This record gives sequence, C-alpha cells and structure tokens, in this order.
Amino acid sequence: MIEAKGLTKRYGDRIAVDGISFSAKQGEIVGLLGPNGAGKTTAMRMLTGFMPPTEGSAKIAGHDIIEDSLEARRNVGYLPERVPLYPDMTVRGYVTFWAKLRGVKNSKTAVDAVLARFHLQDRQNQLVRHLSKGLKQRLGLAQALVHNPPVIILDEPTIGIDPQQVIEVRDAVRALGQNHTVLFSTHILSEAEQVCDRVLIINKGKVIAQGKPADLRRQLQPGSTLFVVLHGADKKKARELLAAVPGVTHVEAQGDGWQVKANADVRGELSASIGAAGLTLLEMRPITTSLEDVFLELVKEV
Amino acid sequence: MATWIVFRREVGQYFASPFAYLITAAVLVLTGVLFNSDLQGSMTVKPAEPALVPLVMSFTMIFFAPLLTMRLFAEERREGTLELLMTAPVTEGSIVFGKFLGAWFYYTLLMVITFIYQFILLSITQPDVGHAISAYIGIWLYGGATLAVGMLFSAMTENQIVAAFLSMVVLFLMWMGDQAGQIVANIDVARVVRALSLQGHFSTSFASGLIRAEDIVYFAGIITVVLYVTIRVVESNRVR
Repeated sequence: MIEAKGLTKRYGDRIAVDGISFSAKQGEIVGLLGPNGAGKTTAMRMLTGFMPPTEGSAKIAGHDIIEDSLEARRNVGYLPERVPLYPDMTVRGYVTFWAKLRGVKNSKTAVDAVLARFHLQDRQNQLVRHLSKGLKQRLGLAQALVHNPPVIILDEPTIGIDPQQVIEVRDAVRALGQNHTVLFSTHILSEAEQVCDRVLIINKGKVIAQGKPADLRRQLQPGSTLFVVLHGADKKKARELLAAVPGVTHVEAQGDGWQVKANADVRGELSASIGAAGLTLLEMRPITTSLEDVFLELVKEV
Repeated sequence: MATWIVFRREVGQYFASPFAYLITAAVLVLTGVLFNSDLQGSMTVKPAEPALVPLVMSFTMIFFAPLLTMRLFAEERREGTLELLMTAPVTEGSIVFGKFLGAWFYYTLLMVITFIYQFILLSITQPDVGHAISAYIGIWLYGGATLAVGMLFSAMTENQIVAAFLSMVVLFLMWMGDQAGQIVANIDVARVVRALSLQGHFSTSFASGLIRAEDIVYFAGIITVVLYVTIRVVESNRVR
C-alpha cells in the first residue's frame, strides 16, 4: 500500500529526511517514532503529495507520488499535526466539502457514516469554531476518512487533547488498521507500542531501527532486569550475595530493594542462592524495558 | 468539477462572513448618497449621470477589492487548510479559479443590487440605458481584474492585513496611470503608462458608453496573467 524508496528532502544544505525506505501492507499500522524535528512531518508531507521529494520515490496504493500525483492523493487520507479547519463552516458542511473535493460519489451517505463513526451527528449543524479541541480532532479524523482511502496518514493525532480523548483516538486508529493502512507518527513511545504493528524509529531524518515493538525491545535489550526485595540481611551482605549469582552483571540499590541486571534468565539461581543463605525473598519481578529506553539508547548512539 | 466545489464554498463563505456584508453596506451607502446628490443636481444643472455607480466603483475598488479578497488564501494558509487542499486530488489551477470566480460572483451580485438606481432613474426620467450598460460591463471586467490582483497578494502572505495593504498600493498605482499625462513630461511615455493603467481602459471608454475590444482584451489579459502568477505562487508552497 505504501512503498517508499530512498525518500529524501533537502532544504538547502539541511537534510530534513535522509533516504527513508519502508513499505507498509494493507491493514498494517506503522508508527513513525522520533523526537520533534526528526523529519516525521516532512516524510509524511512527501507521502501525501504535499511536497515533492528531492530524491527517491514512493508509491501509494500503486500510484507514484510524482508521476501519478492526483491518483496517489485520491488514495490518501491525511490529518496534519495542526487540524486544518474552516472555522466559519458547519461541521457537516466541512466534511461534505472534503468528500466532494476528493470525488466521493454519494457524499451524503459517506458524510453520514463518518459523522456517526466519530459521534458528531448531534453537532453537525454547529459551526466548527465552536467545537472543543477534542471534537476538532475528531472532525479532523472524519475529514481524513470520509472518502474511505486505503492509506491514512496521521501526524501526531494525540497531541494536545485530554487523556480520555487520547484513548478514543488510539482506539479509532487501531480500528482503522483492520481495513486501511495507517501511517501514524508520534513521539510518545508507549503510544506506538500500544497502537502499532510495526515501528520505524527516526532520528535526524534517518530510520535508525525498525520492527515490531516487542522485537525491537528484545533485540536492543538482551538479558533481563529484575527487581528483588530481601528480608533478613544487611545491605552489604545482600549486595554481595546477589552479585555472586552466576550471570548477574550489575546490582544496584533501588528503594527498599535491588535492581539486578543479568545477561540471561537468572530467576531460578537467584531464589536458590537466597534460600541457601537463609534469607527470605519478599519480592521478585521483571522490569520491562519500555520502548523509551530503546529509543534513548538508539538516539544516543547516533 | 473541483473548481465548482471550491467556488461553492467560497460563495458560501462570503454569505457567512459579516465582513462581506459590511463591504456591501459600505458600497450601498456610498453610492446611495452620491446617487441622491446626483439626482438632486439633475433637476436643475445637468442630466443624471448614467455611469454613476461604475465611476464610483472604479476608484473605490482600489480599497474594496483587497478587502474582499484578502481572506482567500491568507486565511487558508494560516489555518493550515491550504496544506490539506494541496493534498486533495485537485490541481492548483482549479483552486485558484474556484476562489477567483467565487469573489467575482459576490462582486457581481453587489453590482446587480446597484441596478436599483437605474430602475429609479428609469421611473422618473429617460436615462441613456446603452451608456449605463456599457459602463456596467466595463466595471464588471474592471472589478474582476482588481479582485484578481487582490487574490494574488493574498496568496503571497498569511497575514490578511499585509495582503490587503500591498494590493491597495499596487491597485492605486495601476489606477493612477490615468493621470500619467500630468505626472510624466514625455508624452510617449505617458501614453504607454496610460495604456497599462486600469483607468485608461475605463474612464474614457466604458464609462462614456464606448465598448472597445482593446479594453476588453486589456482586462481579460490582466485577469489571465494575474491568475497564472497566482497559480505559480500557490504551487511554490510545495517547495517551502
């Protein structure tokens, strides 16, 4: 559905996007993850046909974004970071305008369907300017979906709305993934982890890692980290005991317990040696590294 | 088709905008007052001027055209909708044409409202209808040209005030050409300047009841060239 090959955008000497290649299948939700200014928006703008790439090419639903731009654009639904609105139009008028402009045959049905989907029917005659921020966001999504495009590109759709609405938007995006290909950018890692089937981590215009969120985590953090609480030993003794367990690479006091890093699964050995020393194990749980850590690690390396 | 959809939206915007009504009101008050005094004069001094409204508009469009068009692109750019428009499967040409026709249509309606003065004249005297028709055709084309210039400046900035100000300055210079003879000493240069000016193709032809092909070509030419430049300016948003 989306195929990007070496997409590059240069502004003078500055490279905003540097040779990004990826592809996304139908029904896949791909997350573009990166800090602000990493080139996510520029990459999306090229894919939506807003700006031509300096180098490289891309296809949307089989249509080249340069050679066959209008047809490619017909197959994309786009929600820019700042929801673009006509404040003086009614909700219904706004969605209808975009439906017609994108050549929807039966615009009334399409508009009804999309308004119902985002619970905007009872607001349809209100002026856009009077909507709350969350409703505006939903209206933005409605606009992007009204022509039922195979590819949907959402630029940070969860910024600046309240937590309840963030959950709604995430659910909406996940639901979209069943029939559409969704490209979704965010700088919130837990969000990418929850929503996306695949994540591309972008920094300084380059893709620095990609894969399933779980794989990425495993690949970049082999071994495990455990949190252990002991009873019946002074600090020094406990530290020595934990550090002596084979496989443990690092022990660090954390709160009332210990953070133990190991290069393998050492849970069995740990509890055995604690028992052998006559101590009580009060708590042992794995600390999962979030994508956050992976991300910081990667960004540091570059 | 896309032109028609953009056109429909623009016309709707004009009717939803208090500012557009304000401009209509200003035009009607201004022309109404002038018509009234002209009518008074016609009782004693001279016959009523059939081209009164077009003559008034030929000067005031320097101000009204920028005010009517400053919104067209500047607002789209500020609200970010221009980006969305440019990712819709439509060409820049149809966006520009649709917007221009929307503005011209609103202006046309405004001119049609002023026909009321002609009907008043018809009911109480025998005005030169041909003269009035010629002047109205002229001011309709003239208005189209000034609206096109206003839209061009709106496409250049996201600040409506700047857009309006710049187009007022340019339109004023284009209007001034009529006075070229008084400003420029060299008669040949003055002729050229006048031939390029808005007034030079209106005040002594359309406004006097004379429809000339060269004047029609002039206004159509201004509209064509300015719309072409506007399309290029809008396209340039893609590379920024």
